[in-house]
Amino acid sequence: MSANVISMRDALYEEPGPKTRRRILVGTIVASIAVAALFVFIAWRFYVTGQLSPKYWSFFTKVSTWRYLGQGLLGTFQVALTAGAISLVLGVLFMLGRISRNKVGSAIFRVVVNFFRGIPSLLLIYFFFLVIPSYGIKMPAFWMLALPISLTASGVLAEVFRAGVNAVPKGQREAALSLGMSEGKVMRKIILPQAIRFVIPSLISQLVVVVKDTTVAYVVSFPDMLQNARVLITNYDALVSTYFVVAIIYILINYAINQASVAVARRSGAKVIARTEEEPI
Amino acid sequence: MSNEAQGMRPIIELSHVEKHFGKLHVLKDINLSVQKGEVVVLIGPSGSGKSTLCRTINRLETIDSGSIRIDGELLPEEGKELAKLRSEVGMVFQSFNLFAHKTILQNVTMGPIEVLHTPKAQAEAEAMELLRRVGVAEQANKVPAQLSGGQQQRVAIARSLAMHPKAMLFDEPTSALDPEMINEVLDVMVELAQEGMTMVVVTHEMRFARSVANRVVFMADGTIIEQGDPDEFFDNPQSNRAKEFLNSIKGH
Amino acid sequence: MGLQELLSTYGDMYVQALLVTWRMTAIAFAGAMLLALLVTVARVSPIKPLRKLGDLYVQIFRNIPGVSLLIICVYALPHLKVVLDYGVCVILTTTLVASAFGSENFMSGINTIGVGQVEAARSLGLSFGQILRQVVIPQALRSAVLPMTNLLIAVMLTTALGSQVPLDPPELTGLVSYINTRSVGGILAFFISAIGYAGTAFAIGIVGNQIDKRVRILR
Repeated sequence: MSANVISMRDALYEEPGPKTRRRILVGTIVASIAVAALFVFIAWRFYVTGQLSPKYWSFFTKVSTWRYLGQGLLGTFQVALTAGAISLVLGVLFMLGRISRNKVGSAIFRVVVNFFRGIPSLLLIYFFFLVIPSYGIKMPAFWMLALPISLTASGVLAEVFRAGVNAVPKGQREAALSLGMSEGKVMRKIILPQAIRFVIPSLISQLVVVVKDTTVAYVVSFPDMLQNARVLITNYDALVSTYFVVAIIYILINYAINQASVAVARRSGAKVIARTEEEPI
Repeated sequence: MSNEAQGMRPIIELSHVEKHFGKLHVLKDINLSVQKGEVVVLIGPSGSGKSTLCRTINRLETIDSGSIRIDGELLPEEGKELAKLRSEVGMVFQSFNLFAHKTILQNVTMGPIEVLHTPKAQAEAEAMELLRRVGVAEQANKVPAQLSGGQQQRVAIARSLAMHPKAMLFDEPTSALDPEMINEVLDVMVELAQEGMTMVVVTHEMRFARSVANRVVFMADGTIIEQGDPDEFFDNPQSNRAKEFLNSIKGH
Repeated sequence: MGLQELLSTYGDMYVQALLVTWRMTAIAFAGAMLLALLVTVARVSPIKPLRKLGDLYVQIFRNIPGVSLLIICVYALPHLKVVLDYGVCVILTTTLVASAFGSENFMSGINTIGVGQVEAARSLGLSFGQILRQVVIPQALRSAVLPMTNLLIAVMLTTALGSQVPLDPPELTGLVSYINTRSVGGILAFFISAIGYAGTAFAIGIVGNQIDKRVRILR
């Protein structure tokens, strides 16, 4: 028996015959040259504009540069993890409100969830940065960043959790109720633990969104990695190299988070719930 | 129907076929010919290579060496010639593989309309006739997911028949079915065999093999161990492998 | 500032801002779909370097923060002698990021089809082009409706990056900061923009769900 373990990606084209193989070979050569040319062109662009000059890159060999970027990264992580933790709690609360049997309560939470899902985190950051202080409330930059990010994330997470709860088989609830558990206890002890296990991969990859959201820290003058990069730029007058390096660091971090999510999804093996919501980018 | 279709040229002819999946040698020097109107049943333990063998006949699996001839012609390796040949050999899969976004009727008419360029009205009339024959005409406007497994498999058979194939390949057609649905599919296959369709059937249904096959081919470890008349094979297997296999499935 | 005063002073600008947001969203989404299609074709092609390049493209643009990409476009590219308009940069950034997610949606649409249906089509004698037209593309498109609806909403939210560069007229988020730096707009100024976003997202969601209900494939 031939188990069909190959992906659609490979199945789309069948095993090539000799003519097709030749065509693929030619295509591969042409494409390789084109791809190489693309990278050469980019490098050449850097070269002719003088951006490859050592003065723009040598400071990356200094420990102080990396220490400074590292400090910024620490700030990024602090905000991201704080916002992530808050949004976990809020997400569960919003979800519970959304699925509650109380029609009015459920309708209100539905509006709340859709509101936070439907607005950009930047807008909410401006709300915390511009609007709230105008009512005389003072707040540290850290919270002006972490709170709005966690609010928009919890709107998304509420829907993620709801998908998880819906994926728990109905029989589980009925079995627990028939054991004499109260509705609240069934939710806490039986439904939620399973639902959360289903959505752990989604929760991890939602962290990517949170990390991305933190990059507007400069709006509230919070020293995250991007903000610290700006200071480096002023010090070394090396804008292009710094912004590219920082972008690559962000890409690698988010890539690692996504891979972790995939790995966890694979390891848990159990039914994994795809997010109902495409990640806000 | 004559049990022996003698004096006919083979419709399907494999000689010295070899195939590897990586290091695994899945087909070893396979020689097999199927005459017109013959029903050949491939049996053997799982992993014996019988499904792979079946799938090489219309090049869903490639072979490393050896040759496969259909109706005297070497199996083409690609392009229009391969597509044309495939259109002449029907294939029924274990998991039905109906097109999920098309209705039952559209599933059956797609081949004739796209490949044979049959006018739509004619293709639909023929398709309805075939669906009636396999007993699912009332479902013509539903989509596959609305049908039971047995119904889906019968549609899949009708889809193949719509191409007026010279021969049909069945790759474990009843293995994915609930027990109560197996017979409705086997009945259609028995009928086809009685009408003289050339068939290669990979199956675990020994009763079908015994009553319908002209020849049983027993495979193990990528090799054809023995082949012959079904009664002879089931009552008096020659090889130890076949004896072991038949013992292991007794009571089924 | 009360609602009356706010609207009489800035009402026109809100309408303008909403239109700017909508326009950037529409352009970026259309561009993203086109790019996503090309990238997906590259990613499923039998030509290895194209596959690898497509995969790299997706990993870069789905993982880069929009702000980081916008900053590169606005501040770094001019040093490489590539000068783009502010508005173009916002749309380009959104398009690039969204195209990576769009390609992922197409890929998972293709993956839901299953190898068996392609083999069945092959067995009927359908050519590669016919298999694409009859079996793969229609199913991939139909199952991509819901994810693409969500992507469209995400694209709209991403155009809020426009608030980070001087746009004239500003989009919905930029307008809030514009108003607040001139007068005390308070909560209302924020809410009007928020409702512009959330209302649009709601409408997109409804339309997307309707389309999905009509074309969804039973499995």
